[in-house]
Amino acid sequence: MSEAAVTGVLAPDVTSEIRAARSHLARRFLKNPLGIAALSVLVLIVLAAICAPLLTSYNPNGVSVLSILQGPGAGHLLGTDGAGRDVWSRLLFGGRYTLAGALLATVVAAVLGIAGGLVAGYYGKWFESAASWVTTLLMALPGIVVLLAARAVLGPSLWTVMIIFGVLLVPAFYRLVYAAVSGVRNELFVDAARVSGVSDLRIITRHILTVVRAPIILQASIVFGIAIAVQVGLDFLGFGDQSIPTWGNMLNDGFTNLYRDPQLVVWPGLAVVITGVALTLFANALRDELEQSARPRRRRAAVVMAAAARAAGPVRPENDTVVHEEASSSAPAPLLLHIEGLAVGYPQADGSVTRVVDNVSLDIRRGEVHGLVGESGSGKTQTAWSVLRLLPAGGEILEGSILLDGEDLSRVDSAKMREIRGGRIAYIPQEPMSNLDPSFTIGTQLTEPMRTKLGVSKTEAKARALKLLGQVGIPNPERTFASYPHELSGGMAQRVLIAGAVSCEPDLVIADEPTTALDVTIQAEILDLLRELQRELGVTILIVTHNFGVVADLCDRVSVMQKGRIVETGSTRSLFADPQHPYTRSLFDAILDESPARGSYAEVRS
Amino acid sequence: MLTFTVRRLLYGVLLLFVIVTLAYLLLYAAAGNVGRTILGPTATQATVTLKNQQLGLNSPLISRYFSWLGHALSGNFGSSWFTNQPVSTAIVTRLQVTLTLVFGAVIVSAVLSAVLGVWAALRGGWVDRIIQVFSVLGFAVPGFLIAVFLVRIFALQLHWFKPTGYVQMTYYFGGWVRTVTLPVIALSIGLVAGVAQQVRSSVIDALRQDWVRTLRSRGISERSVLFKHVLRNAGGPALSVLALSFVGLLGGAVIIEQVFGIPGLGQVAVLATSEGDVPLVMGLVVAIGVIVILVNLTIDLLQGFLNPKARIS
Amino acid sequence: MFHRKWPGVAAGVALALLGPLVLSACGGPVGSSSTLTLGVITPATTFEAPNMNWGNESLYNQAVYDSLLQVSPTGVIEPHLATAWSYNAAKTVLTMTLRTGVTFTDGTPFNASVAAQNLEAFHKGTSNNASFLINLASAAAVSPTTLVIRLKQPDPAFLTYLAQAAGSQESPKAWKSPTAATVPVGSGPYELDTKATVVGSSYVFTANPNYWDKPEQHYSKIVMNVYTTATTVLDAIEGGQVNAANTFDDTTIPQIQNAGFTVYPLQLNWAGLSLFDRNGTMSGPLGKVQVRQAINMAFDRAALLKDMSEGFGSVTSQVFPTSSPGYQKSLDSYYSFDPAKARQLLAAAGYPHGFTLDMPSISAAFGAATYALIQAELAAIGIKVNYTDYQGAQIFTAIFAPKYPALYFTLEEDPVPWQLAQFLLTKNATFNPFHSTNSTVAGYLTTMQTGSSAQAAAAAKALNQYLVQNAWFAPFFRPQSSFVADSHTSVTVQAGNAVPYLWNIEPKP
Repeated sequence: MSEAAVTGVLAPDVTSEIRAARSHLARRFLKNPLGIAALSVLVLIVLAAICAPLLTSYNPNGVSVLSILQGPGAGHLLGTDGAGRDVWSRLLFGGRYTLAGALLATVVAAVLGIAGGLVAGYYGKWFESAASWVTTLLMALPGIVVLLAARAVLGPSLWTVMIIFGVLLVPAFYRLVYAAVSGVRNELFVDAARVSGVSDLRIITRHILTVVRAPIILQASIVFGIAIAVQVGLDFLGFGDQSIPTWGNMLNDGFTNLYRDPQLVVWPGLAVVITGVALTLFANALRDELEQSARPRRRRAAVVMAAAARAAGPVRPENDTVVHEEASSSAPAPLLLHIEGLAVGYPQADGSVTRVVDNVSLDIRRGEVHGLVGESGSGKTQTAWSVLRLLPAGGEILEGSILLDGEDLSRVDSAKMREIRGGRIAYIPQEPMSNLDPSFTIGTQLTEPMRTKLGVSKTEAKARALKLLGQVGIPNPERTFASYPHELSGGMAQRVLIAGAVSCEPDLVIADEPTTALDVTIQAEILDLLRELQRELGVTILIVTHNFGVVADLCDRVSVMQKGRIVETGSTRSLFADPQHPYTRSLFDAILDESPARGSYAEVRS
Repeated sequence: MLTFTVRRLLYGVLLLFVIVTLAYLLLYAAAGNVGRTILGPTATQATVTLKNQQLGLNSPLISRYFSWLGHALSGNFGSSWFTNQPVSTAIVTRLQVTLTLVFGAVIVSAVLSAVLGVWAALRGGWVDRIIQVFSVLGFAVPGFLIAVFLVRIFALQLHWFKPTGYVQMTYYFGGWVRTVTLPVIALSIGLVAGVAQQVRSSVIDALRQDWVRTLRSRGISERSVLFKHVLRNAGGPALSVLALSFVGLLGGAVIIEQVFGIPGLGQVAVLATSEGDVPLVMGLVVAIGVIVILVNLTIDLLQGFLNPKARIS
Repeated sequence: MFHRKWPGVAAGVALALLGPLVLSACGGPVGSSSTLTLGVITPATTFEAPNMNWGNESLYNQAVYDSLLQVSPTGVIEPHLATAWSYNAAKTVLTMTLRTGVTFTDGTPFNASVAAQNLEAFHKGTSNNASFLINLASAAAVSPTTLVIRLKQPDPAFLTYLAQAAGSQESPKAWKSPTAATVPVGSGPYELDTKATVVGSSYVFTANPNYWDKPEQHYSKIVMNVYTTATTVLDAIEGGQVNAANTFDDTTIPQIQNAGFTVYPLQLNWAGLSLFDRNGTMSGPLGKVQVRQAINMAFDRAALLKDMSEGFGSVTSQVFPTSSPGYQKSLDSYYSFDPAKARQLLAAAGYPHGFTLDMPSISAAFGAATYALIQAELAAIGIKVNYTDYQGAQIFTAIFAPKYPALYFTLEEDPVPWQLAQFLLTKNATFNPFHSTNSTVAGYLTTMQTGSSAQAAAAAKALNQYLVQNAWFAPFFRPQSSFVADSHTSVTVQAGNAVPYLWNIEPKP
């Protein structure tokens, strides 16, 4: 479904909605309430630390022999600790050291990691191998043990420890940037930029850094949190620099005096926890927004569907389907599927319901091949999915009935529906590669449903599967049975899916544009296959397509859908011979006609 | 697969060698006057000098390094300078303890994360929110705070568990459970927080995939769809997170063992590095290096198993 | 479909967890009369008798070894492996009669030759008390039961040393074994159960069935668990995991008492400043007695006792313990807190604006708060303290160099005056890095070394008085060390030792 087609069909005012889905990350982040709250808390904490001298008059290291372990009040907002130092003052100044230390570690990690990633990703070669080697080394070292050892050598200075920790965390940034850079490096536009003389540095900063900006911020906030945690841990063990105030030292002092003054651990503990929570929420919000923008196609698709439905305007209640009456030559086959007044919709957050299928009625007789034709967004696939009761999240059958041999599928319970799926109704999806579970072999995916539904043994199921694979025209069934989906071509995968669909001997097969994603030559083969299977097994087929060629080739009867409603239905012959509904006619007109190509090339005489 | 494993192992050995050499050099710089550290303030300088001599501290660095390396390659890591216990014995007994904690935490975390992550992904709504809140808290609260809190309430108030020490599992299973439960919980919480979120988003992702619909259309049970297919696909990223966290778990074990008085590698690491017990620290470095390399290799192999596309054929 | 499974799973998990709890709930309290579980705060550095330490490690030694002599809780020398002993007139030859019929656990019989070997080995060994035998000239077996020890000079503390690690007896054959450091071979009341022991963490001893001094063997099994922090000791006490324990500090005494344990207080050490540079070699001001006296007056000892020791202990200005013959009660309060007078003294000594004093610190051991308090008190009389922080024992290398004129530390107070003197006061004492001495002090020391016990005691008192008046030190207080025991265990503490002697820990009937 190309964008151009979509914009061609829909009203222009909908395109703005699509553009909105791609709006600036920062602006979107600002709309995330949790993210904003977290960021505000962080800013507050940083401000408090920076403005420490303004918020307290006590020296954080000012001991007082006479006033140890005093409770809150009487000149000390939060009381005093084991050496008579003011707790509030130590909390604020301790914030300075703790946050500054973590910042140092983060900056060291970021600077080295980003620089390394940029150089390695862009220039590659030996730098990259050396860097990746160093990275593995760094990641293999347990941080705390290294810090303990470093401290034994270099002394307990906070700054030294944090610099070393920063070096240990370089891989976090390096790998991120390297992956981004090496991914972009080979893009054509980078080559183009180079050819037109743009300097390497400019390419790097302009194109690459903008891409990784947000993930780097995300990583930085996580690294910052880890640095605080490690620092606090070391101080708590008593291995920190005891001459400066830090939250970890406060916790250590608090635990030493835990029984004399239990509330001393509360304040630094809260400080650490609140900072950690704020950082985590900030990172989570950022990650959520990043992931939204990373899947624009899906989001846009959803937006487009909703927009399309809304742009379609209120649905007209009258039934203006054109029905081609059939002269029945012989006794008609029994009715297999009878859809009556089906309506499918998606309830919206504001309470309204977007209808994608409205008042659809359809009859399919046993042995028939019925084509369901329409453009993208017409609701044909939605109709097919509702027969299977496999609508996407949010979709509901609003009205109507779907009778399979008299049983109303829209009302049976899920256990019964599961029985019906695969056993009585089967599904052949459109895009073969994305419809096979990438983690399991073809064999497993074929045999599992057979064993569940038909109760056969493993060996029996395998025998059947191999036979089926042969039947659908796969040259080497054994090899395909053992293969994984990513090892197959599109055509073979589609054959596998067809095999799977017919494996449990269903009555009705719903094929959802089974050839759209395939090459033209393969298309023909698949259609042949479907025809053959239908003849041999006698299955009834409902084939969803937008291609009249497929209809002409395969279908006995056809229904045309537009904007969720069936506008014309009848036998293929009759409808092709004499399309009556204006929409049907326009579809036929859109097919390339047989007019000759443009005239011969005429030389320009100068 | 075999060449892949062998190549990674060789690579790991090389890495280990580099780490070990660096560590030895570091320790040399840090050693200072070990004799004095061992004997304390009351011993005379003469005794201290004698002790240093006995420990071989007067020989040059290079000869000491090669001597250590030579012995190490034959499996002899010497004895602790402070307790005289053979280093290999010390490491092995304590290794079991720490690995019990760490693997216990990994298993508990994996199971809990899978359960919570799937539950949050399926249910959404308030269940999802609550699990998110717990995730954030678990991530943000340092492990030792949780540990101390657990000890206070569950060991000392309610007497359900033992506050300190460690009982061998084979020695007395009940005692083992009572000593091991709280430390494993304290270690797991941070990990569950991160991995559960990863599982949740991976499951949500997987459920959106087309093949889920196709699988369902085949009529197999929802349980199979979820726990066989979806989880298998969602496992990859979660496993990555778990792998990256493993090294952090070792660090976390250091602090947890201090709080619970558990005689594991972490406790030894703290003591040995602060006292400068070179033989013991070197033994630790080798042990930890080997563990990390093996675990990373295992995780890589597991990833290959879970994600066929990642396999090196 | 998903939530329906939960009740079953939950029940299964609950059973799995609770089962063992139910199992382990059965079983009596820790330590019925046959097992003693002790909490100790340091592992055994080694089990090789010639290299063993004392103090906090004395319990390990006493479990597996006998020594030549024993000391009663009040300091009276008593026979053990040696049944009788006497000095010659010059107090340089000690003749000892040894017990017969004692064998080590490897079958080697104990005799004078073995005893002589043990003494020689300790003398040349690496125990932190190896210097106790510094005056040993030779030890020889004259007969299987007679041991003659020759000293280089009289040593009034020698008999006490023979009741400690220096006098411990191990089978010499054990020293050749590669596992000598972790497998003791002694004749003592218990044997180390090497299988159940986790070196460095939990030591298990079982009763020696052939022990010759049964009345001193009170348990069939002793477990010594090592705890590394005050919190884990408290947790073990509250969790009922020990019968008795040594403690790190007094921060948790009220909680320990709440758990039903009895606290046995001891004052083993003194905390305060050692003003090493009495000659003024490195720090001119410290060479003046008025300056040193001023320093003594700068400290509010009562407040420091409260801040640094939670009030447990007693203030003092002397370094001799209460159990020592040299102790005088009046000297505890010789200096009072008088910053004004201190400043006057400083001015009189020529330092009206104070001076700078360099001191080492070891924050990891005493906490930064302690040093900050000291710095604050001295700053109040004009003395500016510059600290250099050390981690671990590197500080001693610096102190003994000597690199600093003074130091804050907590040092032991030995009840035997000569032992204290050899540690702190003699010209070549370990903690006298500047080798300060003068004729007065030397005179007292000579009497203490060679005089009769009455003369020695008087000399000790006089020396003590001199040291306090001349402010060789600035002691703050004697912190309380606590050994704690539950209601099933009775304990008699040992003067001058961090832990009671093992045979003085008994089950309460």
